[in-house]
Amino acid sequence: MNFRVLIKYWRTILVVAEMTIRQQLMDGFVIFTILFQPIIIALLGLWMLKGKGADAALFVVVGSGLTGLWSSLLFISGNSINVERWVGTLESLVAIPTPFEVVVFGKNLANVIQSLLSMLLGYLVAVLFFGYSLNIQQPLLFVASIFLTIIGFISFGLVIAPVFVMNPGVQAWQNGLEFPVYVLCGFMFPIALLPGWTTPVSYLLPPYWAAVALHGTSTGGASLNQTLFAWGMILFFSLVDIFVGGRLFKLMLYKARADATLGME
Amino acid sequence: MNAIEISHLRRVFKSYIGVIKRTAREVVAVNDVSFSIEDGELFGLLGPNGAGKTTTVKMLTTLLIPTAGTATIRGFDVVKRAEEVRKRIGFIFGGERGLYWRLSGIDNLRYFASLYGVDPDVSKKRIPFLLELVGLRDRGDEKVGGYSRGMKQRLHVARTLLHDPEVLFLDEPTIGLDPVGAREFRQVILDLQSQKKTILLTTHYMFEADALCDRIAVINHGHIVALDTPGGLKSRAQDLNVVEVETFGLPANTLNNLRALPFVDALSVEEYEQRQMLMIQTSRGAEAVPDVMAALEGLKVGRVIVREPTLEDAYVRLVEDGDKS
Repeated sequence: MNFRVLIKYWRTILVVAEMTIRQQLMDGFVIFTILFQPIIIALLGLWMLKGKGADAALFVVVGSGLTGLWSSLLFISGNSINVERWVGTLESLVAIPTPFEVVVFGKNLANVIQSLLSMLLGYLVAVLFFGYSLNIQQPLLFVASIFLTIIGFISFGLVIAPVFVMNPGVQAWQNGLEFPVYVLCGFMFPIALLPGWTTPVSYLLPPYWAAVALHGTSTGGASLNQTLFAWGMILFFSLVDIFVGGRLFKLMLYKARADATLGME
Repeated sequence: MNAIEISHLRRVFKSYIGVIKRTAREVVAVNDVSFSIEDGELFGLLGPNGAGKTTTVKMLTTLLIPTAGTATIRGFDVVKRAEEVRKRIGFIFGGERGLYWRLSGIDNLRYFASLYGVDPDVSKKRIPFLLELVGLRDRGDEKVGGYSRGMKQRLHVARTLLHDPEVLFLDEPTIGLDPVGAREFRQVILDLQSQKKTILLTTHYMFEADALCDRIAVINHGHIVALDTPGGLKSRAQDLNVVEVETFGLPANTLNNLRALPFVDALSVEEYEQRQMLMIQTSRGAEAVPDVMAALEGLKVGRVIVREPTLEDAYVRLVEDGDKS
């Protein structure tokens, strides 16, 4: 997939995203993943850091939102192709003129956007239940970081979904991948608290750079150069993910058509 | 140019058995199938379960890659030019799946219209038209999960027609529909044919194929065993008559005894709760009735008639001949 494809099919992407959100807002698992779980994490974090000041609370709010984003990416975007197969719509989505990765891009867009709700809810919890007055320190940079985070997570989802379809063994590790990434990407606390040997692993995880950008711009703890570097890394990983995802989709679809695994017989 | 060209198409499925010592097993679903379908033709593909009908349709709709052979839709190869093929085809696989049950009928159509690249202004007009066509105009706002099976089937038809495809694949589209729903559906198929659509229909219902199709191919064990007009196929059983016997509680050994009678060319049974309808194909016609009754001695027998062969009888003969060989 390339950017020309995204531009050509922008209208289709928006319709896919709209229909995905409409369906998922009636799905209990999705509601739990993007709303309840992040709220629980935010409540626990805010309780543990009670009295540590507004900056710590803001870190927790942004971090709980990132947990919602990651869980949504891992479980909802990661399973998006398999779910279509289970409900019998995968064949209808493959035998159409629109490239299949465009459909998955639209679904990932929906997942990421609705997951951002978890950040908003975390904010409301901090303000309403704990009485914090939270201010984003670099609002314009923060908004730009949110935008890049959306792109970064959508792109990462384009790699995860075909990998899970082609390797059911990897999918079995799905649950095990949720919390380590929370920790390694510094969602809830800085990775400086972790042993030094884990740092390179964090650098290789695209969500880490989103966390750096969002935490840094919300609390004002990062310099402009640090933020720009994090943005650069998000864009770099996005480009790599889109490139790799495009090839994985081609391989996955060819394999599915050769092995007759598109439908559930 | 023919709308569909198939040449020596073959598809093999591999399955594995065993956990520690895995053994591969190959099943040939479609074997050296060749035929062509003209523009605007309504072509039937008949065959028993597992004969290779759906596999053939899935290869033609780009969902399966053939193991060997070629197939083109309006000149575009289904493997090499899949995107061009997909623009030109629509398909329905029988059953309720393939729709989004949490969305309304209209939203399902909006979704698929967008995926087929239909201009939003066009789809705004086309969706109400199609809902009217399939009799769902008043139910379009309801969630598909609340639709009956027939309504879902009709929504499938509307979905298939969104991008006005030139070639349609209807794989057992009336399966599970009540008689009224199936009759309405057949009318929709005839309407599509009148619009010069090329249609490939698979069905188990012989009267449906007889009433609708211009030509019919019978497929069995992955091979085409006959290809002709419905009249041509029926004429293949012209030398036979059919003795229909209604029985109550027919034991398996009696059935085997009947099959072994020298004058029985083919035999099929339809089950209706406690009664069975035997259809015995024989060249002896009414003269065979006393011998059949003798073979059924001791069994409660109802109506007995001798009639001319139908398309179904020709189909049974073709399939049974194939099984014997």
